[in-house]
Amino acid sequence: MDIKILDSWLRDFLKTKANPEKIGEILSATSVSVDRIEKSGDDYIYDIEVTTNRPDLASVTGIAREAAAALNQHGINASYEEPRLKTPETPKDKLIEITSDPKLVNRLLAVAMKVEVGDSSKETRERIERSGTRSLNNVIDVTNYVMKEIGHPTHVFDLDRLNTKTLTVREAKSGETIETLDNKKYVLRGGEIVAVDDNGRIVDLLGIMGLENSVVTEKTKRILYFINTNEPTRIRKASMSLGIRTEAAVLNEKNIDSELAYKALLLGIELFEKNAKGKLISEITDIYPNKVKEKTVSVRLSRINKLIGIEIEPQKALKALKDLGFEAKLLKESIEVVVPSFRLGDIEIEEDLIEEIARLQGYENLPNILPPQTKVVAHRFADGFYWEKRVKQAFKYWGFTEVYTYSFVSTELFEGPLEEAVEINNPLNEEFVYMRKTLVPSLLKVVSDNKEQETIKIFEIANVYHKRKGDLPQELLTLAGVVKKEKANFYEVKGLIEQLLTDLGIKDLEFKSSDKTGIGASLYVGKEYLGEIEILDNNLIDFELNFELILKNASLKKIFKPLSKFPPIVEDLSFNISKSIETKSVIDEIKSKSKLITEVELMDQYDNSRTFHIVYQDPEKNLTTEEVSQIREKIISDLKEKFGASLK
Amino acid sequence: MEEELISIKNSAIPLILDAKEEKELEELKLQFLGRNGKLTLALKKITKVPPEKRKEFGMLANEVKEALEEAILNQAKTLKGSVKEKIREKIDVTNPGIKPPLGHLHLVTQAIDEITDIFEKIGFERVRYPEVEWDWYSFEALNFPKNHPARDDWETFFIKEEVHPKYGPMILTPHTSSGQIREMQRRKPPIRMLNIAKTYRRQSDISHVPMFHQFEGLVIDKDIAITHLKGTLDYFVKSFFGENRKSRIRPYHFQFTEPSFEVDVSCGVCNGKGCKVCKSGWLELGGAGMVHPNVLKAGGIDPQEYTGFAFGFGPERCMMMKEGLELDDLRLIYSNKLEFLEQF
Repeated sequence: MDIKILDSWLRDFLKTKANPEKIGEILSATSVSVDRIEKSGDDYIYDIEVTTNRPDLASVTGIAREAAAALNQHGINASYEEPRLKTPETPKDKLIEITSDPKLVNRLLAVAMKVEVGDSSKETRERIERSGTRSLNNVIDVTNYVMKEIGHPTHVFDLDRLNTKTLTVREAKSGETIETLDNKKYVLRGGEIVAVDDNGRIVDLLGIMGLENSVVTEKTKRILYFINTNEPTRIRKASMSLGIRTEAAVLNEKNIDSELAYKALLLGIELFEKNAKGKLISEITDIYPNKVKEKTVSVRLSRINKLIGIEIEPQKALKALKDLGFEAKLLKESIEVVVPSFRLGDIEIEEDLIEEIARLQGYENLPNILPPQTKVVAHRFADGFYWEKRVKQAFKYWGFTEVYTYSFVSTELFEGPLEEAVEINNPLNEEFVYMRKTLVPSLLKVVSDNKEQETIKIFEIANVYHKRKGDLPQELLTLAGVVKKEKANFYEVKGLIEQLLTDLGIKDLEFKSSDKTGIGASLYVGKEYLGEIEILDNNLIDFELNFELILKNASLKKIFKPLSKFPPIVEDLSFNISKSIETKSVIDEIKSKSKLITEVELMDQYDNSRTFHIVYQDPEKNLTTEEVSQIREKIISDLKEKFGASLK
Repeated sequence: MEEELISIKNSAIPLILDAKEEKELEELKLQFLGRNGKLTLALKKITKVPPEKRKEFGMLANEVKEALEEAILNQAKTLKGSVKEKIREKIDVTNPGIKPPLGHLHLVTQAIDEITDIFEKIGFERVRYPEVEWDWYSFEALNFPKNHPARDDWETFFIKEEVHPKYGPMILTPHTSSGQIREMQRRKPPIRMLNIAKTYRRQSDISHVPMFHQFEGLVIDKDIAITHLKGTLDYFVKSFFGENRKSRIRPYHFQFTEPSFEVDVSCGVCNGKGCKVCKSGWLELGGAGMVHPNVLKAGGIDPQEYTGFAFGFGPERCMMMKEGLELDDLRLIYSNKLEFLEQF
């Protein structure tokens, strides 16, 4: 929540010689973040970011108290002066019977006044305008002034336009309609907090915005000053679903202090009297079913030092807590505090108090120390992250560009039956509805999004998601890539994957004709299915591999084989073989002929002709040409018998 | 006899000087000086020379031999020079090189690699935990009240799935902090975790994308204090951004840490003096804090015996804050425009 605080206004309650720059610097270091200090005439405006747990700081008085405490801890004299407010004498009349609901409103205050509507004084106008709110008239301006100074939102009705004997606070029903004071119409979802008159007409959307039918106008003579501390969750829900994010709503959804409501009432009355010739014409209604309960918390001195990491003087800690509005007592080994009502929402345990003490004395004074290693832990070198990095590096040096595509996809990009999809209930838009089960469609989208590039080589390593009954989906790390170029070559992609797995120490990789619908290869490591290479058209080939299986088999294990003492005999044999016979079966057949064949490779292929490169080697002795020729004869005769192949 | 020697010399020298290639020179050498070369054969005739003239003949023969050898050697040197000259003529060093392929790692990967390296040096162990997570790990166990705004469906993605009786709704984790509880369940302290993973939030604008990354540090041991968190953050900032950069922590609020901090890095553009890029000399890096006792309890760790700190930052943001990389729109990182990715 961002607020603007005027320096001159702040100094009504903060007594110090510190200049705005110093105040800003110390607030930033110890409390709220002062993003900017802007000069405005002879005044200064602090732009402040208030965290959600500290709605008490979203006001001039809240910041004044906090600044005084922080300045004192930094050796700069400062004090906070509470606003002095008196409970006024009121007539005994009760003009409207108000019924509230303790489930919806923690405290409700109301009082009727006679007023004269006109312009605000120059000072009032300047103060609220410089704090970021438009001045409207002397009556509305009071409500905004009170919110700025005290930190509790307030509202005024035109009592005569309200024209009712009763006001009842209730939950809105689904389908009820309202028109807000800025002339916008809304249909309520149900559950919003509203007030209705004698006739059941809705006259206020509590905690969020006033309505057109009862708002103060230039003609207003009598007002009902109306303050309510509401149940914060309902305010948030209503404000978010209706899209009305007023300052009041943003404050009210943060559980503000119902004790502040009374201060807001008193200040408001005082200002109506002063600025709008206001006169009280009713008694004060105060319906306060959910009174705040007093809370005591204590903190051990030893715990303070342990958590902060240096020794903190108990007296200094005590002073910090007192300045922040806690009733604090120093005991033998601890400090005990009574939490003020405006801090009940965020002070629960001793760590909360340690934070108060630590932040006020300033984190910049604490030394920087690396945590000690108290136990010897072995470094896991070749873990999954190691292999992932190695694979990514390999792709980079083979000319691939890495992409990161979104994990969620549209209906069109989702592969597989939709009922198997992990589906998002509240997607941001229709592009991001299903957690993907495959990566390739996302990569193909990248290819089509980069049409202007004729050659594209991209890859990604990311999770895919498989639904599991009654459990979190299985997240499976997957490697995929796409090659787009003129006459994309299947064997280049195949070779790439072969080399990749060789580098990872994976040996038993096998390629089989794909049993999937497309053209391509199914890959296996041993018997386990690794993935697919898919030929989409002449210019486009993709692959997708189960990266977890790669991780399971990757190894840095090295085995030394003695260098051979005897030279190999190498020869190339060309055969005419029918195209229907797979090269792998021919190679397997050749290899099975003799243990002395150490290597067989396809060298060349042209029409029906295939040339194999064969290496013969005996680790024990020199091979003779007779031995080789015997093996060769067997190769030739067996290939003929098995595959009808003939030597060329 | 002498005339024959002279004529061999006279016929050989021009041939040698005319030789254009090393191979030709080799042949000439063989032709004249080889085992069956002309000069060798002529020398064998010394037996036919009268004894009184043999000395003279011998001296002349040597002279001729030396002359031929020297001519061949000189010509060889000349030829070598001209080969180099030809190579020199062929090469234009300003022509483009024939390059091996070189692709690009995504900026996020580059950031993650650097971050991992930095933290592993001080004993952090990298882990990865579920992206699709139970509310319990992402919120409940992290001390979020039931009605916290982060738990409603304006901010967090919910999965269409039955609510688990213990763990609540299934969601896409909005932060890597869910890994804190997973890590505490996996092992006993001391803990030094670095959890880097994808995270998801329901937002998309100039500084937000619905999917992004976080890296979460978690240290739990017997005497972990704010000073250790400060030290670790300062080490990271100096390692990642440069030794001249400074870090600071400011008070902030998170449900799962107490005290909580916002971490700033001194601006690399103005060096902390204040400029257009930064707010008063500092850039926000992310959140940190001392692990809340309720979180330790939820992870099965006694908060009286152990304390800890945690921090969670975005690698994208860290990268964007590096000098020279000041990107003005985070969405660019996930746009997958190759023109963008191929810059890095």
